Amino acid sequence: MIQIQDVSKSFKGDFAVQNLNLEVKKGEILGLLGANGAGKSTTINMLLGFLNPDSGNVYINKIDTSTNAHDTRKLIGYIPENVNLYPYLTGLENLDYFCKLAGLNYTKDELENYLSTCSLSSDAHHKKVSGYSKGMRQKVGIAIAYAKKAKVYLLDEPASGLDPLASNELSTLLQKLASEGASILMASHDIFRVREVCNRIGILKKGILVKELNSKDVSANELETLYLQFMQN
Amino acid sequence: MFQIIKNEWRFLVRSRIFLGITIAFSAIMLLSIFLGNYQIKKQEQTYQNAKDHVRQQWVSIDEMNPHSAAHYGTYVFKPSNLLSSLDEGVNSVTGNVLRVEGHVQNEIIHSEASQMQAVSRFGKLKPSLLLQYIVPLLLIFLAFNSVSNEKQSGRLKLLVLQGAKPIQLIFAKTLSVWLYGILLLTFIMTAYALFNSQNLSTDIVIRTGLFFSTYSLYYFIICGLTVFFSARWQNATVALTSMLGIWIIWTMFIPNILMSSAEKWHALPSRNEFQSAMTEDRSKGLDGHNPTDKRSIELKEKVLKEYGVDSVSQLPLNFDGMRMQADEDYGNSVWDKHFGNNRAILKQQKQSFQLGGIVNPFISLQNTSMGFMASDNLHHQAFLLQVENYRRVFIKMLNDKQIFGGSKTGNWSWKEDNAFFKSVPDFEYKPTQISEVLSNYMLDILLMILWSILVIILIVYGTKKIKII
Repeated sequence: MIQIQDVSKSFKGDFAVQNLNLEVKKGEILGLLGANGAGKSTTINMLLGFLNPDSGNVYINKIDTSTNAHDTRKLIGYIPENVNLYPYLTGLENLDYFCKLAGLNYTKDELENYLSTCSLSSDAHHKKVSGYSKGMRQKVGIAIAYAKKAKVYLLDEPASGLDPLASNELSTLLQKLASEGASILMASHDIFRVREVCNRIGILKKGILVKELNSKDVSANELETLYLQFMQN
Repeated sequence: MFQIIKNEWRFLVRSRIFLGITIAFSAIMLLSIFLGNYQIKKQEQTYQNAKDHVRQQWVSIDEMNPHSAAHYGTYVFKPSNLLSSLDEGVNSVTGNVLRVEGHVQNEIIHSEASQMQAVSRFGKLKPSLLLQYIVPLLLIFLAFNSVSNEKQSGRLKLLVLQGAKPIQLIFAKTLSVWLYGILLLTFIMTAYALFNSQNLSTDIVIRTGLFFSTYSLYYFIICGLTVFFSARWQNATVALTSMLGIWIIWTMFIPNILMSSAEKWHALPSRNEFQSAMTEDRSKGLDGHNPTDKRSIELKEKVLKEYGVDSVSQLPLNFDGMRMQADEDYGNSVWDKHFGNNRAILKQQKQSFQLGGIVNPFISLQNTSMGFMASDNLHHQAFLLQVENYRRVFIKMLNDKQIFGGSKTGNWSWKEDNAFFKSVPDFEYKPTQISEVLSNYMLDILLMILWSILVIILIVYGTKKIKII
């Protein structure tokens, strides 16, 4: 569960995030929409414990990230826009390595199972990552978080640059993870994908959450109109 | 940490470029060891032939006046050293033949560099050249982007999220690159041991062990600093440039500047000054070939009084021999004074140079490398001293035979037979004890350990400020 309470963060006097309040419950997917510099990545970095808020508190499963980052990171699976894995290792070896860093020793079958669960075709498991597409690398990235048994998934522009099929597979995978009880926060520019995948949507503008709504309550076109209105005003 | 090291090694093993570099480099190292060994064995053979030839000439003297034999003299050859196939040190420039004769302490001649232009210009392809200059460069190229690459690719975030601590990561990266250096070092030492398996002694094993340890320390310093820069600087190019700058300053500028400065701070007299001072002091002493010399007359009177006789013809010994030995003794004291002074200056120069290790661990590495491989100035000076001591025993033995062998004063035609010349011992070189070498280079070893600790402190405290994002 993610809780952001009255959080502000500024860099050299400019607010990146201002009085932000957010909550993502268990089994919920929250999409954060916003232009570049809206504060999406700053929010994610505060959740990851790499940035401390100037004021307010950030919690993962009720643990403060600014004071217990080491503990909260154990609960987080993070999928950046570009999942850069070790190109000289296979997908399976990458997963094995990252799992071992987290202190998890899985058998080969278990690792294969995680990769398959994350929709990576079995013939790719033993191929070097240098030959993977962006979507395939993202699947390994999700498998790393999944194998870690993350309670919280943070995704920063995950669908950027993915082809429609890969993007669709990602959406299905995220919904599967949420159905298993994960809390997911996904920062994106992709209004239609966010509308499709997320339960709730927040629109960030210059570090301020200007709108929060349920995705059921709005169609894709309405959401686009609304988003553009906020961005233009 | 083990997992990170293992992963780094997987990269090394799977990288065709590094595999190619490692194979090519290993081949060059093998070649350098093979050539070094071939040359040492050839030198050993030449040394043994020359030694036997000169000895044969000496023991073949049928009959000769002992003092004439002292002028005839003999030659001492600096033995080649199996260890110097790893580090040649000063051996190629110091000469290796010394003429031993009465009244005169000759200089060592026939250095390799004086006879081979390639050696004087470029030095020789020795493992030490590769280990001191090329391996550190390889390690720098291997380590300069080890952390910055993780940062720039965004993997550092993932690694930290998986539970890896930045300090663990940096130490693991340092150790994995360091282990590569150790692998190359082990390869060289193993090849060396295999090539010389017949001649390995305890002394050689201890010395090569120490050689290995000091190189290991230096590689740790290089790897630690490079990985530290890679972690601290946002840009890998800056890390590479910084380390290459340090490498150039450490290997090229500081040693040359410091050696020149040490030579100025503790200047040796010029050859002319030295010869003039020696000649002047020598002239104040007794002239063994001049019976009318004032000091010769004083010695004669003293000996006559001692034996209670009026003339040298009544002495039960040959006074000519006594005068010659007195001349020799005085000459020895002059030599001790001037060469002793030179040795003291050389020691001061060495100590000043050693202190350079405070700012440059490469200096400590070079010192210990030559020291442990018995090719430094300490070993050379020890050889010269042994030769001089031998010369004194050799000449005294001849003079004593002249004095007490049964001849009378003035009887220069008296000759000793072949049995006596055969009984004169040949020069036997005694290698410097490792304990003495260690005490001479303890400062260098300590400075390298201090540098390693400093690098660890840098990593521990410096990486606290590393930005993950």
